Amino acid sequence: MSLRNDNFKLAYQSLAAVKARSFLTMLGIVIGVMSVVLVVCIGQGIKEQITGQLGHFGKDVLSAVPASASTSQFSSLTGITGGGSTLLTSSDLQTVSNTPGVAGAVPLAVATGSVTGDHTVTSPFIVATNASFPDIINQSFQSGGFFDSGNGSRSIVLGATIAQKLFNNSSPLGQGLTWRGQRFLVAGVYNYFNAPPFSVEANFDDAVFVPYSAAQQISGGSLAIYQILARADNVRDSRQVVAAVRSALISAHGGAQDVTVAGASDSNSAPNQTIHLLTLLVGAAAVVALVVGGVGIMDVMLVSVTERMHEIGLRKAIGATNRQIMRQFMAEAFVLSAVGATLGVALSAACVGFIRAYTSIQAVLVWQIMVAAPIIAIAIGVFFGSMPALKAARKDPIEALRHE
Amino acid sequence: MSLIELKDVSKLYGFGDATSVALDEVSLSIEAGECVAVMGPSGSGKSTLMNLIALLDRPTHGTYVLSGRNVSRLGANPRARYRRDKIGFIFQSFNLLPRLTALDNVALPLLYKGLSAGKRTRKAWDMLERVGLGDRAYYYPRQLSGGQVQSVAIARALVNNPQLIIADEPTGNLDSNSSRLVMELLSEIHKTGNTVIFVTHNPELTRYATRVVYMQDGTIKHDEQTKLGQVGRYARAIMYTIPESTEEDDLAGVSAIMGVLSKRGEAEDKKAKSGSRKKTTKSKRAPKK
Repeated sequence: MSLRNDNFKLAYQSLAAVKARSFLTMLGIVIGVMSVVLVVCIGQGIKEQITGQLGHFGKDVLSAVPASASTSQFSSLTGITGGGSTLLTSSDLQTVSNTPGVAGAVPLAVATGSVTGDHTVTSPFIVATNASFPDIINQSFQSGGFFDSGNGSRSIVLGATIAQKLFNNSSPLGQGLTWRGQRFLVAGVYNYFNAPPFSVEANFDDAVFVPYSAAQQISGGSLAIYQILARADNVRDSRQVVAAVRSALISAHGGAQDVTVAGASDSNSAPNQTIHLLTLLVGAAAVVALVVGGVGIMDVMLVSVTERMHEIGLRKAIGATNRQIMRQFMAEAFVLSAVGATLGVALSAACVGFIRAYTSIQAVLVWQIMVAAPIIAIAIGVFFGSMPALKAARKDPIEALRHE
Repeated sequence: MSLIELKDVSKLYGFGDATSVALDEVSLSIEAGECVAVMGPSGSGKSTLMNLIALLDRPTHGTYVLSGRNVSRLGANPRARYRRDKIGFIFQSFNLLPRLTALDNVALPLLYKGLSAGKRTRKAWDMLERVGLGDRAYYYPRQLSGGQVQSVAIARALVNNPQLIIADEPTGNLDSNSSRLVMELLSEIHKTGNTVIFVTHNPELTRYATRVVYMQDGTIKHDEQTKLGQVGRYARAIMYTIPESTEEDDLAGVSAIMGVLSKRGEAEDKKAKSGSRKKTTKSKRAPKK
């Protein structure tokens, strides 16, 4: 028992005797641990940022888009392509809402034409949808609320940016708006969508939300739906609902697989998977750095064993067994890697804070890796340290004593 | 029964044509309580013999029985335990760990025995007091004189109460005063009942021994019992035939001759027990010129 404590004391003393070298050895482990921890923390942060953006739809939201639009997978949920050969129709909306397990469904369509409030915006992003939209997208309002249902509704809702453009600083709520010669009243203004917008094309801060029925009237019934968003009820698993909606749409289209249905919480959605793979890849490189750190420990320990051959010989001469010598050097490897790993974790935590504060990457502290990385680092250090320790332990005392 | 029983012990180094014989079928038995001085020229196998007896090394052939147990074929770890518990070894070059204090150095064998820190300190301190260095416990080896360092090394050798003390030229790196101090310590240890074996080149120091063994070319050439305080007969013979200078000394030049002279000066010094060493050296030197 006491020997164990003494080993650590001894290890500390002999490491302190060669401070610069010990520090440089530790640096290998510090960098290794830092790279592993940072890669995972940044990767996880980016992943959460992206799923956070998708999460605006809510976890149990699913989306149906024309299959042609899904060629660009990244925008499968959010992108506004609309250029596909097939677009969705009101009957598809009906099909989706009637599928068992779907609690509500809204269409998203893009309308055109300039909008005039206090100022005129010539080509705003006009999203035609219906009154159930707030049920599906959780977003708070600056003022007012979403428009009501009803065929003759002449209310619209503005994104925060376009509200500024149209009405400067005056409150837009209750003001009149002209779109294609029709008067609309502003029923509400959304707060800024806090995560970066869903995709570059679909910036909802810049969007004017108009009732789908009104928009269809104005554009003469030719308004095509580019996406249907639906919410699954809480009873069924959302993945089952996704499958149900898919099969319902396929059968409604006469067996043609021209619609892509995906859930927002799909963990193997393309962006998630990409990030996951990238994190794995860079993580693997970081693990190599960690192993290199371990090799560094082995190097320095070997030098240290050679340098202290005489000491080893003496210790053996006065009665240290092989195991006792081995433990002494293992303790050194342990202290080196443990201190290095602790430093590495502390520094990477600081780096995560720094990255959060000064870049747009919202890195997060992933406690699992912050525990696992130092444990792995210590294991690597002790593993690589055991070779020199063994070499030291097996030395013949006479031979070792002759060493000066 | 003898404490040490060596029978036809040989130690060979190297293989085939390059084999050199360090010990050639040496048989020696030493009783408990003896104080044995081992003498002989360099390369005669004294140190090899000491290493074998101290279980630092294993004989190539022959048997070694230590207090009734054949230890000639013991493995590394049991030998380490023997060294720790039964044998105290004193080196010519002291071999203290420079980073440890005198106290920690003395406590080292106790550490490997697994004693608690408190016990180690107490025992080590007692031992330092016994060698007269109680007030230097927290000094580092570099802060102590040669004689003091060797005293610390003796304390370290004694701290486990070993039956057997082996000293390989304990005074080889010390001046005459320190040598006397160290030898007095060893003889005190001997008087308390320990068995002491020491190697020396200085015939004067055989006064402390009860038995003198002379070695040459890996064999024991002469073995005599002496009385304490008496220089061995054979040793006396050697003393007066110390070559003025060897071929090596000639090659090494003046400094080596000075070494020989000062060694003779020491001998004179001890015999006369008066007058400064400087003076004796000078007087010795003058007629030579």
